[in-house]
Parts: sequence; C-alpha cells; structure tokens
Amino acid sequence: MHIFHIRYRNTQGTLMRILSAAARRGIDLPYVQAEPAEQAHQVTLLMGVNAKQVGQLCRDWRAIVDVMDVRPGVPIKELWDHAHLGMPLPPESVIAAESSRAATA
Amino acid sequence: MRKGAQIVLDCMRAEGVELAFGYPGGAIMPLYDALLESGIRHVLTRHEQGAVFAAEGYARATGKVGVAIATSGPGATNLVTGIADAKMDSVPLVCITGQVRSPLIGTDAFQETDVFGMTLSLTKWSRLVRSVEELPQVIAEGFHWARSGRPGPVMIDIPVDVLKASMEFNGPVKFTPPRPTEHVGPESTFAATLIALLQQAQKPVALVGAGVKLSGAVEELQQVLDRLQIPAFATVHGLGAVRQNSPYYLGMVGMHGTRAANMALDETDLLLVFGARLDDRVTGEPTRFAPLAKIVHFEIDPAQLDRVRPCELPVIGNLGETIPAFYQAVRHAHLPDFSAWRRVACGGERAEPASAGLAHPTRSFLDELFARMPQNGTGTVLADVGQHQMWAAQRYRASSPRGFITSGGLGAMGFALPAAIGVQLAKPDTVVLSVSGDGGFQMNIQELATVHRLGLPIKMVIIDNKYLGMVRQWQELFFDRNYAETDMSDNPDFVEIAKAYKISASLLREEEFIDPDRAGEVAEKLDRFFSSREPELLVFECHPEANVYPMVPAGAALSEMVFEEE
Repeated sequence: MHIFHIRYRNTQGTLMRILSAAARRGIDLPYVQAEPAEQAHQVTLLMGVNAKQVGQLCRDWRAIVDVMDVRPGVPIKELWDHAHLGMPLPPESVIAAESSRAATA
Repeated sequence: MRKGAQIVLDCMRAEGVELAFGYPGGAIMPLYDALLESGIRHVLTRHEQGAVFAAEGYARATGKVGVAIATSGPGATNLVTGIADAKMDSVPLVCITGQVRSPLIGTDAFQETDVFGMTLSLTKWSRLVRSVEELPQVIAEGFHWARSGRPGPVMIDIPVDVLKASMEFNGPVKFTPPRPTEHVGPESTFAATLIALLQQAQKPVALVGAGVKLSGAVEELQQVLDRLQIPAFATVHGLGAVRQNSPYYLGMVGMHGTRAANMALDETDLLLVFGARLDDRVTGEPTRFAPLAKIVHFEIDPAQLDRVRPCELPVIGNLGETIPAFYQAVRHAHLPDFSAWRRVACGGERAEPASAGLAHPTRSFLDELFARMPQNGTGTVLADVGQHQMWAAQRYRASSPRGFITSGGLGAMGFALPAAIGVQLAKPDTVVLSVSGDGGFQMNIQELATVHRLGLPIKMVIIDNKYLGMVRQWQELFFDRNYAETDMSDNPDFVEIAKAYKISASLLREEEFIDPDRAGEVAEKLDRFFSSREPELLVFECHPEANVYPMVPAGAALSEMVFEEE
C-alpha cells in the first residue's frame, strides 16, 4: 500500500481529475480523505500500486492544471487499519431494500 | 451593458480567434444570435463531429487554437471524439457548449448532459460557467491552458441563462496563472551528461515525434542531427520534422514503419527521443523495445516519461529551449565517428524487399498522387484512419513540418474530410489532399455539403477496397480469415453521392491504373484532378485483400516485423 498527499486548488473538477487518474487504471481506493489545507485543499489517498504505477500516477497528477504538490509516502498503521477494517458493509438485503426504495421513490 | 454571449465573443476575439466551427441548437442560440456582429467567421458544418475535427485541422495546420461550438446534450456529446483526439495528439482546442438553464442543471432537462463530467478525463482544463461575471476570466484562462505547455483541449460549458444575462463589461482580461507556470527545466548539466553518453555509445539513434513541431524546434533539431549524423526516424506525427533527403533519415518507425528504422531501434545502444510519448504503436511489445538502449528523453510533459521503462536521462522542458541548448553544447564537442554504424543502419540491404504484392498498385497510385503535390511546403496531405493511412504515412514525403496530418493517437475514423476543411480555410493557397478509406469517408460524408457550400478546392480521394481494410487484414492474419462484419461490398456509389452534393467526382479502377495501354489517360486524369481550383473527389477501387506491410504483429517486438512475402 502507498499513501499520497496531493495539494490542489479546489477548482471545478480538480478532485475528480485526481481520482480519475487512479480509476482509469482500475486501481481501488480504499481510503480517500479530502480537506482544506492552509490556502488550498489536500486529498489523501491510500492504494495498492506497484513502483511503475507510483511514477505514472505522480506524473499524471502533477500534469493537472490546479495540482500544486504531490507527495507519495508509506501509510501509518492507523490509516492502514482504517482502510482495511473500517466500517463493515451492511447486509446485502439491506442494500437491496434501500436501492429498491430509491428506485421507486 | 453587454450580454454574456457578446462577452464570450469579445473575449474570443481578444484571444485572436478569427474562425470558429460549429452547429447551432437551443441552448447555444444566444451565442449564435450575437455571432454576426462579432467579427468572428463561423463555419456551419453538418455535424458537430465535423465541426470539432475541422477546428482540429485548423489548429494542426497553423498551431493556433481551434474553436468548436455546439449546443447542449447531443451537440455536446458529438464533440467528445474530437476532444479525445485533441488530447491524444496535443492539439490546442477550445470547445464552447451551451448548457440548459442553470436552475434546470441536474434535473435531466431536455437536451441536458453532464458534458463537464463526461470530458473530465479528456480535457486539459474545463469549466461549467455559473455566472456572467465569470466569463471574461474563464475564456482567458481556457485559451491560456489550451495553448500553453503541452497543448490540449479545453471545454467551456455555458448555461443559456448566463449567455443571456447582462453586465457592465470593461473588456477582456488577461489571465495570469495563479502559480507562475512552473519552469520545469532540464538539469543544467544535462548536455554534458548527454555528450558523455554519446561518447560511450556505438550505435546511437534519434526518434523524432510531434513535440519537435509543436515547440517550433524543427530547424534546431535538424542542426543537431546534421551534427550527430546518426540514424534518425520519426513517429507518424513526427513525419515532416526531419529533412527527407538527409542521408541518415530512415522514415517512419513502429508497427508499419520501415524495416531499416525498426532494425536500428532494435539494435541501438543509445536512443535519443525528441518529443514523442512512445506509445504501443511505436514500441511494439514494450518489454522488448530497444532492448539494448539507454534512453534520453526530451519532453515537455513529465507525465510522458518512463512509459516503457525508466529513461537514463530525462530532459524536461520546451524542446524549443532544450534542443538549442543541446546543440550549443554538442556543436564543438568531441564525438566518436558513427559513420560505420550509420552505413550499416542506412544501407540499402536494409531496405524493404521489393514487392509486387496485392498492395503494389495502391501504393503506386498514392505515389502518383503525391508526386503531383507541391514540394515547396504549400501542400498538405490528410490521412484518415486505416490501411490507406499507413500507406500514405509510408510514402508521402512532406515538404513542411505540418504537411502531413492524421489522427494518430486516437485513430478516429472520419477525421480526414472535416479536418481538411479546417486546413483549407486556414491556408487557402495550400493544395489540400484528403485520403480516406471507404469506411472512414462514410463516417463524416455529410461534410461534402460544407465543402460545396464554401467552394473549398479540397482534393478528396477514397481508397475503396470495399472492406474495413485494416480490421480485415488483422482478421486475415490473426483470426483465421474470419471476416466478421468488415464486408462493405454494398458501398454506395461515391461518385453519384458526390455529384448529389454538386461536387465533381470520378472513378479510377485498379485494372485501369495498371494497364500500360492506358497510362497516358490515367496520367491525364490525375493531372486534371489536381489542376482545378474546385473540390474534386476521386475514387480508387483497389484490390479488396491488399495488406499493409511491413507489419509488426501485436505483442511482437519491432525486430519481428513481417513482410508481404512471408
């Protein structure tokens, strides 16, 4: 697992562009947290990637117009635990019931 | 007070826009209402995809920003292929789309689509405008990002109520990037490192891509190559960047590249890449690409580095700066004598085997066409996508850096005809030759109406093999000749179709072309085709099973290219 801290100006679509760089490669994002940071915003991403993908992602992110800084790192244990042992999913029947309600709303 | 639509057009004028391509519709009507008095010439195409490809043609021919305008919903979605094409080939493009009224956004209103969201991964920058006050800044910023650094597509989505709203307008603004555009320059020692690598090398080569043209570094690159005297070859978008008669020039590299270029790439121990991203059509199987080489990569966009494998020396920056810096360093440097390697790599024994195969007449036909193109830089050939594209890329010797235009990265069929419209409008005195296949031509055949309306003297050629030829070739070679859904033997009569659009058209059959008794007649026909200043269509019916060779099969290394005899 790798962790990435990306500082960006919170303009339209910038966060989505950051996430899309991972999504287009079929990479799962078990942990995402975006928040204001000083004069800008920061998103923290945790994902399982190989060394080549780290390079590709960092270069893709840096090429986004409103990305200011990209820092890869190693996740701390708490974050790791949060990503892997976070809130359990609700039972499937609950999901089905909710989506059924949403569909008929 | 000025309305939003007027402000958009005022700001576009301030950005130097003289010509835009588009197609009106409900949500963009206020912009069209203000267009006549704006001083911007608008060309109505017959489909939004035609508009965006025409804007691309204009941009590719001039280096200026191309502009395409469309309405919301289907108008906007019809632009998407062109936007993707511009992203892949680094074309400066601004797309302006109308959007439903602001209060209706997100309600699945009539002709509403989230084109902003839909194009996030295709655009370099985009905005959904929320108020008329934002317009001057958004237009200025959009044009800045479209043309700066590695050029690319920008999408600006404007709700119809914003176009109708008014405000006090003090004139267009100038955009200043919030962080000064970071000057990601090369390491100052790069030239010394590169010279050291050259001094250690025995078989260096140069691979030239579109970045050399985009950064205006063609002359400087030629100086470097003349100094180094090492084998050089180009990607499909790099064609025209190296002087064709240079003794070290080996033509196109990659899947359908020349044997000499691919062999040199396979053997090199030092690969200098100038402004190319090394996609899979260039590299063949990436793990076996230039297996012996150290890579030096001149590139403006750091995101393009290390795609195949880590390069030894990245030279990041505008090639208009880095190549001259390299030349200054190398011009008086002591370098090994590469002449023995050059003689091997460029020797006649590495030329393709002479072929009299099924594709020979088509290639000869293209040679005859290209021989009639001006050689003084006033000719532009556009190729659509497919077999004819590769034959054209292999055989056309562009006499100017922007003299060969094609959809190389995305490979979008239907590109050539509308793009030719943009090229001809940008360069009225240029001879524009558009070469398409029978499949691709039908994808934007409606633009014949635009050609006729504008009276553009575009020379249009269809290489008609009554198949989706490149797919059929792969079916023949890799799918046991199972020609699934590639048959087009029921093509319409293209000559009659052109005539219905009031465009002069004629047919040339392969058997007529190769008949020695009719050589004079054919030559006269081709001369006539080029001599008029009217649009003309020429349909060349060729053998249905002609293939493009050499070819590197998918998953193979460049050294495993196959030839027609095999």
